[in-house]
Amino acid sequence: MSDTFRNRLMLAVALVLAAIYLFPLYWMYITALKTGSAMFATPPKFWPSEPQWSIYAHVWESRNMGRYLWNSLVIAFGSVALIAVLGVGCAYVLARYRNVWVDIGLFLILMLQVLPASLMVTPIFVGFSQVGLLDTPRLAVILAIAAKSMPFFVVLVRATFMSVPMELEEAALVDGNSRIGAFFNIVLPLARNGILVSAILIFMQAFGEFVYSKSMIQAVELQPASVGLNTFMGPNTNEWNNIMAYATIYVTPILAAFILLQRRIVSGLTSGALK
Amino acid sequence: MTLQIELNGVNKFYGSYHALKNIDLAIEEGTFVALVGPSGCGKSTLLRSLAGLEKISAGEMKIAGARMNDVPPRKRDVAMVFQSYALYPHMTVEENLTYSLRIRGVKKAEALRAAAEVATTTGLSHLMKRYPRELSGGQRQRVAMSRAIIRHPKAFLFDEPLSNLDAALRVHMRKEIRALHDRLGATSVYVTHDQIEAMTMADHVVVMRDGIIEQQGRPLDLYDRPANRFVAGFIGSPAMNFIPAVVEQDGRHLALDLGATQARLALVETVPAGASVTVGIRPEHIRIVGAGQGALDIPVGVVESTGSATYITSATQPELMVVETGRSAAVGGELIGLAIDPAQLHLFDAETGNRLGIGRAHESEKFAPRAAPHPAAATFSPS
Amino acid sequence: MKRILSSITDGRGFDVGLVSLPLAFLFVLSGLPLVYNVVMSFQEVDMFSLGSFSRPFVGFKNYIDLFGQPETWPILLNTAIFVTASIAGQFLIGFGLALFFWVSFPGASWLRGLFLVSWVMPGLVVGAIWNWILSGDFGVLNFLLRETGVISGNIFWRSDPSYSLWAVIIANIWLGTSFNMILLSVGLSGIPKDLYEAAELDGANAFQRFWTITLPMMRSTIGAIVALGLIFTLQQFDLFAAITSGGPNNTSNVTQYWAWDLSFRQYDFAKGATISVIMIVFVMFASVVYVRSTRHEVRG
Repeated sequence: MSDTFRNRLMLAVALVLAAIYLFPLYWMYITALKTGSAMFATPPKFWPSEPQWSIYAHVWESRNMGRYLWNSLVIAFGSVALIAVLGVGCAYVLARYRNVWVDIGLFLILMLQVLPASLMVTPIFVGFSQVGLLDTPRLAVILAIAAKSMPFFVVLVRATFMSVPMELEEAALVDGNSRIGAFFNIVLPLARNGILVSAILIFMQAFGEFVYSKSMIQAVELQPASVGLNTFMGPNTNEWNNIMAYATIYVTPILAAFILLQRRIVSGLTSGALK
Repeated sequence: MTLQIELNGVNKFYGSYHALKNIDLAIEEGTFVALVGPSGCGKSTLLRSLAGLEKISAGEMKIAGARMNDVPPRKRDVAMVFQSYALYPHMTVEENLTYSLRIRGVKKAEALRAAAEVATTTGLSHLMKRYPRELSGGQRQRVAMSRAIIRHPKAFLFDEPLSNLDAALRVHMRKEIRALHDRLGATSVYVTHDQIEAMTMADHVVVMRDGIIEQQGRPLDLYDRPANRFVAGFIGSPAMNFIPAVVEQDGRHLALDLGATQARLALVETVPAGASVTVGIRPEHIRIVGAGQGALDIPVGVVESTGSATYITSATQPELMVVETGRSAAVGGELIGLAIDPAQLHLFDAETGNRLGIGRAHESEKFAPRAAPHPAAATFSPS
Repeated sequence: MKRILSSITDGRGFDVGLVSLPLAFLFVLSGLPLVYNVVMSFQEVDMFSLGSFSRPFVGFKNYIDLFGQPETWPILLNTAIFVTASIAGQFLIGFGLALFFWVSFPGASWLRGLFLVSWVMPGLVVGAIWNWILSGDFGVLNFLLRETGVISGNIFWRSDPSYSLWAVIIANIWLGTSFNMILLSVGLSGIPKDLYEAAELDGANAFQRFWTITLPMMRSTIGAIVALGLIFTLQQFDLFAAITSGGPNNTSNVTQYWAWDLSFRQYDFAKGATISVIMIVFVMFASVVYVRSTRHEVRG
């Protein structure tokens, strides 16, 4: 068996596996384009005969998706900004030193990383309502997401900082820079890619966040797209083509960003999760 | 000459680990000092303390007369060449060179001119726009050196700068760094684990072990008069042979304990009779003679030849080695005699390892006749 | 003052400054809620006392009441089934895929990375898609199973009490498999190739090599991944919200959804806090296992 033949065979099998695995995604895109009757046809059609492209505009208008997505963006950007500002410095210090305090700090952070949001939402909701934070619900959600996701960000970014040799910073110090100068001039530029990838991962998480938003944002005009989708689905819905159109509009930007940055995201993720 | 670097009673602790123990060191301006010792001896810690990258726990440290204990690295005006070179990977060679000047507020045009000047002398002019990843190991090393030179610092600190180069380039760079030092007239502190580097480059060698300075002095003084067994074994290649021995009752002879064989050697100086000592003999100070004609006979074990020299190990004492220049006729299993110049012996206290007596190898000829009465020594003739 | 300033620019003060702010933030927004959670589980909390800090303490009443409720044990059992089945499914399929993609061929790493889209999608969208796929009369999964002869009549995944939990498990396995696969791939690529060459020279066949080299070398990775799987499955909430809402009749309910349901649907915040405390203790135990299995890498 020649190498090229083996490679082609492997590639073919891999494509089949990927097709099977990604079928739910395909089904989402296909369903969105079906008419109401085609959707409930038996046997189901695996290729839309008369694609309904107008469905996207219709769903966008009728579900007021612009507002939902805007709220998702506000929450995601707010969380990422807060996490990045606070988390980068923390990750740097945890990467730079090896002592008991760092071990303890790291342990605490790994512990916080695992707290399920659906369990933490009860005390956070009650506490926030008592200090009046629920009057600004999107800010409340941003704070809650930041507390939930920062540990993960710190773990990922710490791995990046650990790959920046300590000597470079020391060289900058001997060359006449202060700690602050060396951090911004040397360390930060070299860790930029890792920080960016981690921030994108956090952004994706925050963009799809549901538990906190569902629990803390009562006003419809402030709810993000995940809560909007939840409301849309209801218990006994029949509008699956519309729901799938909604889902398509919601996730396609995320998927596009992921596929573009795939290699970096995957390597950033794997370096942090196991190290 | 003024003192450029002064250390008085410097101590460094990492938690309970005592990394530097009461280090006293005085380095004159323009001196090339080598800190040498096995890994973990504290030489790098000492260098990093000089740079300000480690804070010393006790004692005093002065550079150019000013107390440096609490001064951050950037205000010490020293330059450092790192083992990994620590070139900023996101900057070109030119940016790497001018970085320290720019931080100090030197105008861009002026910094570029200084960089061009240094690059000419180090042969980097054609590489200025390259990034470190596009350079060879030797070129990176030159950039690291140039980055230090451009600042005209009070002292150059080198942290094993040649250990990442291949053997041939290392020998070449050794000379180049020394030439550079002489041209700039700067004070240099050079950390290495390679005693040959220390011996060939430095004016002043500091041998360290376990956080203390075992001995310091001119390179050949360390070779001729090692202060203790550790320094004796560390300086010189191949390493010195050590043989346990007892001083005989007359105080003028040694009884070597070679396991099965016994041998007597004359002493050129008086040592308390009955003392247990360790005799140190450098392999290059032993001459091979016919069996029975030397101080002792050994069966030949392994014979290794590098072409220019031959290393002969005793079959019965694997730690006993002789070096013969050029080719050797010795064959494994054959019995050979070893002639030893009593003046080339080093005596160390068996307990403490400290040097006994004052014997100086370069005075051997003066002492040689005195050894004559002993039959073993009689075979020795100064060549 | 000058001393503090110079410590910030040149010394430890810089590090302390960088690390203290985020730690303070985490303490206020994670540490305090954690403590508050425990406090609330010993209090009587209702809609009226929600806004006040002085609430009557009731000792272990909430815990006793909780375990007196008929649905408690079935929900705990559901949680155990959900966690075990999800981890097993994610791990086995993930390991299989990782082994397949371990064989290098052009495009392997890119295709492998593509699988991760299931993991980056919002959980609620994944839930919506599977809700539709698993629908009883018109679901495509039922169609495929019927066509291949696995089943004769439609399974009502979401509304049949004996299948509702499995509907969520299937979706969760799909969601988590890719993450397992990626991490396992990293572990596999960390095994030195010359070990296999040595084993082959020693006469081990492919199966023996897998058992004697791959598995033992992967032990710490597998430990970390199973612990991570436990942590992630216990965090899974969106799929329940999107597919079954815990129903019908709590047959697909699990603790992490139930805790939320008690607090935000039934407004019984004390019970919600109580079940949260129990589960958080459990999750913390899992994370200790995770930290331990990655310890050597954490300490570097």
